[in-house]
Amino acid sequence: MKILVTVKRVPDPETSIKVKPDGTGIVTDNIKWVVNPFDEIGVEEALRIKEKVAGSEVVLVSIGDKVAQEQLRTGLAMGADRAILVLADDLDPLGVARVLAKLVDDEKPDLIIMGKQAIDDDSNAVGQMLAELLGWPQGTFASQIELSDDQKSASVTREVDGGLETLSFPLPGVITADLRLNEPRYASLPGIMKARKKELKEIPVADLGVDVTPRVTITKMEPPPSREAGKIVASVEELVNLLHTEAKVI
Amino acid sequence: MRFAFNEEQTQLRDAARSFLTDHSSSAQVRQAMDTESGFDADLWRRIGGELGWPSVIVPETYGGIGLGYVELVALMEEMGAALLCAPFFSSVCLAANALLVGGTEEQKLAHLPGIAAGETTGTVAFAEASGRQDASGIEATAERRDSAFVLNGTKTFVVDGHTATLLVIAARTPGTTGPDGISLFVLPADTPGITRRRLPTMDQTRTQAEIDLRDVHVPETALMGDEGGGWAALRRTLDLATVALAAEQVGGAQRCLDMTVQYAKERVQFGRPIGSFQAIKHKCADMLLLVESARSASYYAGWAVSVDDPEVPVLASLAKAYCSDAYFRCTADSVQIHGGVGFTWEYDVHLYFKRAKSSAVLLGDAPHHRELVAQGMGLDVA
Repeated sequence: MKILVTVKRVPDPETSIKVKPDGTGIVTDNIKWVVNPFDEIGVEEALRIKEKVAGSEVVLVSIGDKVAQEQLRTGLAMGADRAILVLADDLDPLGVARVLAKLVDDEKPDLIIMGKQAIDDDSNAVGQMLAELLGWPQGTFASQIELSDDQKSASVTREVDGGLETLSFPLPGVITADLRLNEPRYASLPGIMKARKKELKEIPVADLGVDVTPRVTITKMEPPPSREAGKIVASVEELVNLLHTEAKVI
Repeated sequence: MRFAFNEEQTQLRDAARSFLTDHSSSAQVRQAMDTESGFDADLWRRIGGELGWPSVIVPETYGGIGLGYVELVALMEEMGAALLCAPFFSSVCLAANALLVGGTEEQKLAHLPGIAAGETTGTVAFAEASGRQDASGIEATAERRDSAFVLNGTKTFVVDGHTATLLVIAARTPGTTGPDGISLFVLPADTPGITRRRLPTMDQTRTQAEIDLRDVHVPETALMGDEGGGWAALRRTLDLATVALAAEQVGGAQRCLDMTVQYAKERVQFGRPIGSFQAIKHKCADMLLLVESARSASYYAGWAVSVDDPEVPVLASLAKAYCSDAYFRCTADSVQIHGGVGFTWEYDVHLYFKRAKSSAVLLGDAPHHRELVAQGMGLDVA
């Protein structure tokens, strides 16, 4: 079976993020970039399916700047077969979903796995939009995926409030990966060397003939307010008094 | 001139860093160093089977991936930073190199695939009680009896010597002196007549052993290269291992610097972070100078090996002399900047301090390598 997996380039979650003084975005100098952790879980899941189902192919897709090649190479080093990079400036979720829908027309995958959200803007929207655009069933926030023996349907366990929910639906379909779906493998030394020889196709977004006009505009970004310094009080009495009059918690 | 890792090398380094962050944390290192073997066997299986690191410098003909020293240097730096407890240095940098440099075709085919897969752990036993790093330090004997050899003597400071499954042993023909008469043998560690004992060492993150050889009978097929002509191969093996060790030292020094700068920013005294005091600032700046210079020396030596530069022996000694001093000074200053907590068990600084000291002595201390550098400049002893 053919599995399409998204790979978004995002700042390393360990990086300390600074907002530009004019609030138009974040400072990107000296940031380490990684594969969106939820997408990485998606790649791992696709590779596990590939290992079980003979003749499977895992195709990675990224949308963004040319430098996103690095993240695609990481996915290829993990074991994916080939990669597609759609060259485009920042798109909003609907734009991303439309680009992916167009690629699905060309690639005709049996399954799409993507991270439930990217850790940069946390939209958590593309998977749902893509399923709607394609008219395909969707299983979001997957913590477990089981395919039927004939790979014609999938059973997806979702972590919902208060328990687990299991959905079954026919394929092709869209599944978005949650944190506990699996623990992604590390790129191995032979994997890194093989990745260099794998196909990585670049497509300018204009060539796809898709309307990517943004519906969402970011008006302003600002850092969370910094925590104010604490106060040292002299007595319990004073503390109680301040909790009552100043903090108003008792 | 562009002196930086290429895309694959960077990817390899990042993958190594990410794996080691998750699997060679302070707690995991402390757990591994407390075991009898000194390493976590499951972790080592993953490093060999899943990540393929031990295959890095082994050519494809012998089951490896056939990369060069720049890639090895990148890996060693990360392993040094994480104080990884594993028989990588002994198996790959010592044993695999010894086989590649001095082994016969049959020996390479017999042992290198196992090392590349992480299934065979090996080491090289050369040093003895005198602690000398030169040919005169080898006093163990290899006596020819018909088509076999009988080994006798005591090897010490053998890295991972009590757990290795394959040993490369240096011994000399009775009656010879200096570089002449030294032979190398490769043999299973469970060959009768071999007794191994783990040495109690200050640096628990890397084990060393004493190996006693008493009438150890080895077949002629165990002989590496020509009888009595093993010194050149051993010297070359040690040069190559020295380059790798220097890279490991750079990684440790860098991690020490990072921990120290972090601490200097957090620790507040007299109402301000201690990193704002000039005495601390200058110490940290000096550490950075040391780390960056050490890295330059180490990378350059690694690059020289990868292009088979004739200057490798001098560059290896230069890197080892500098990196040994730099690592030790970084860890010593780190203890100072950490103040009272610097020598507590809870903080990791002491682990790096001990590793720095043991690595400085391993494969020859800085004065020894300065002497070799001087000889390389033609300042030979009279």
